[in-house]
Amino acid sequence: MVDRIFAGVLMVVTLAYAVIAFTAISAPFQYDPLGPESWPRILSLVAITCLLVILWKPDATEMGVARQTWFRLGATVILLIAYSELYEPLGFILATILFGTALCAMLGAGIWRSILFGVATGVLGYLLCATLLDLNLPEGELYEAIAETFEKESS
Amino acid sequence: METVLTGLATGFGVALDPFNLFLVLAGCFAGTLIGALPGLGPINGVAILLPIAYGLGFGPESALILLAGIYYGAEYGGRISSILLNVPGDAGAVMTTLDGNPMARAGLAGRALSLSAIASFIGGTFAVILMSMFAPTLASFAVTFSPADYVALMVFAFASLASLVGKSTVKTMLGATIGLMLATIGIDANTGVPRYTFGLPDILAGIDFLIVVVGLFGMAELLTLVEHQISGKLKALPVDKSFVRMADLAKCKWTIVRASVIGFFIGILPGTGASVASAVAYGTEKRLSDKDKTFGTGDVRGLAAPEAANNAAAGGAMVPMLTLGIPGSGTTAILLGALLMFNIQPGPMMFVQRPEVAWGLIASMYIGNVALLVINLPLVGLFARMLTIPQHYLTPLIAILAFIGIYTIVGNPFDLLLITGLGVFGWFLRKLDFSLAPVILGFVLGSLFENNLRRALSISGGDWSILIADYKSITLYALALLVVIAPIWLARRARRMEGDATSETA
Repeated sequence: MVDRIFAGVLMVVTLAYAVIAFTAISAPFQYDPLGPESWPRILSLVAITCLLVILWKPDATEMGVARQTWFRLGATVILLIAYSELYEPLGFILATILFGTALCAMLGAGIWRSILFGVATGVLGYLLCATLLDLNLPEGELYEAIAETFEKESS
Repeated sequence: METVLTGLATGFGVALDPFNLFLVLAGCFAGTLIGALPGLGPINGVAILLPIAYGLGFGPESALILLAGIYYGAEYGGRISSILLNVPGDAGAVMTTLDGNPMARAGLAGRALSLSAIASFIGGTFAVILMSMFAPTLASFAVTFSPADYVALMVFAFASLASLVGKSTVKTMLGATIGLMLATIGIDANTGVPRYTFGLPDILAGIDFLIVVVGLFGMAELLTLVEHQISGKLKALPVDKSFVRMADLAKCKWTIVRASVIGFFIGILPGTGASVASAVAYGTEKRLSDKDKTFGTGDVRGLAAPEAANNAAAGGAMVPMLTLGIPGSGTTAILLGALLMFNIQPGPMMFVQRPEVAWGLIASMYIGNVALLVINLPLVGLFARMLTIPQHYLTPLIAILAFIGIYTIVGNPFDLLLITGLGVFGWFLRKLDFSLAPVILGFVLGSLFENNLRRALSISGGDWSILIADYKSITLYALALLVVIAPIWLARRARRMEGDATSETA
């Protein structure tokens, strides 16, 4: 059943892919006989064939994931999305402290240990990656705003 | 032979440069640490660390040497969690648990770890030596390949992938096709027509390779860890002071040699890699030498065979990657993508155009093997301690590392959402028994496949018969047919023989 649902969703996407390949993609002029549209057309046909076989003969029947696990997975994904959204506005250090603490606590560590873990990864991670390894990490809009006002004041 | 020697001289010149030497050692050390983490296999380790290695801004040969060290080290480290925890880090290490864990439970953990380190070392070194002898010859032959031959080669690669990897052939095929379809997103290089970009400027240049890799492997792995998270710690068996004996080595010497040969040649086959190699080596060894039915109860040969094969396959998988530009496993597909990011087209010309990269990589594998043996024998206790890191620290750490890696490349927060989305997609694929290696292989090979097909048809002016006009391509199609049919035929025969046996007893 799960196989069929997943294959069905993929089928919708593949059909959309095929429709675009067969109607929308075309080059104003081209030198090679295939052009940009033939390869996606071939691929969409192969994918549709595979999907039809899976729809006809599915083999995975159930996911075997408990309801509680679904909640945990959903919460993890939400945390990840929140982390991505806050990455630039809050900056690496703050966003990582929040994310690390939240996920760590959700996965069963004590609250103080989670906070310690979050602060440690946020601060040490920034020092290690941005200062020592010279990688590009966001400082955060808040920090930038403060830095700007300081610059204005000093000038 | 002379090209090999001069090549090796160039390579060692690059790899023995103090900085690169340091990178080999650092990569091996970091790789072993990552490989030892329960549930985190080599492919995920390389996937998570690749963007960071890229972001450090080293030269291509240095970055590649670092990555190869991580890859190698992770293959080594995988056995630690297999033996002590009975939790394999990836599919390639499953066979190691069969005899390794019983040995550890019998109080011989130290012996099992040191024996497997030596077996890995021999397998790995054997593969590197064969590789440095074969690779240049294969590369000089591959120079003569026409675009049509390349198309045939891709068909062969995907055929062997479909028949040997994963549980279901159709699902593997579909996985590879999904990878190929993902690769069509972005501006078509030949005509400048945007395909499937829907006006989003973020993906005009195509979905970045690193995003696909980190999303499908790193983030999907993270979700799997959350899913399997077990309350309470897994119990790791203690490492004792026992050590491998000469008698063990004497007993295993032919096992190791056989397994290395099997591993290397299976590793060369595109797409198969270590998991198939270690399974075949274990199966063969069991059939050949399991006279007293001791396999599975802690037989040293049952431990040595998959370990030697595993590491030989890791080396073998590098051969098609370096000489043909077609990776032999999921992890080498990631290394191939790494090369492409440095604007180096792996393939036959690499040995001529960028000998310092090709040979530097090979030489670093010689050094890496020795380094791993030296690091592993005395420090195994330290690596074993990695096993006790609780999951609730490990999981957030993976996410944070993945985010750092992806953000440092372009600094675009949209990419962070993209890896999360791909991670969810990858988790579903894994959950439904799709293996992810075909997806990444399809993604890496997508443009190569398409461009060669288009080039071939441009040469012939649209005549499709050019694809079978050459003896090389016909041979490759025949081989492709063979890899698809042979396993089906063998399975039928085995079933028939089984049927005979049951009817006889009945």
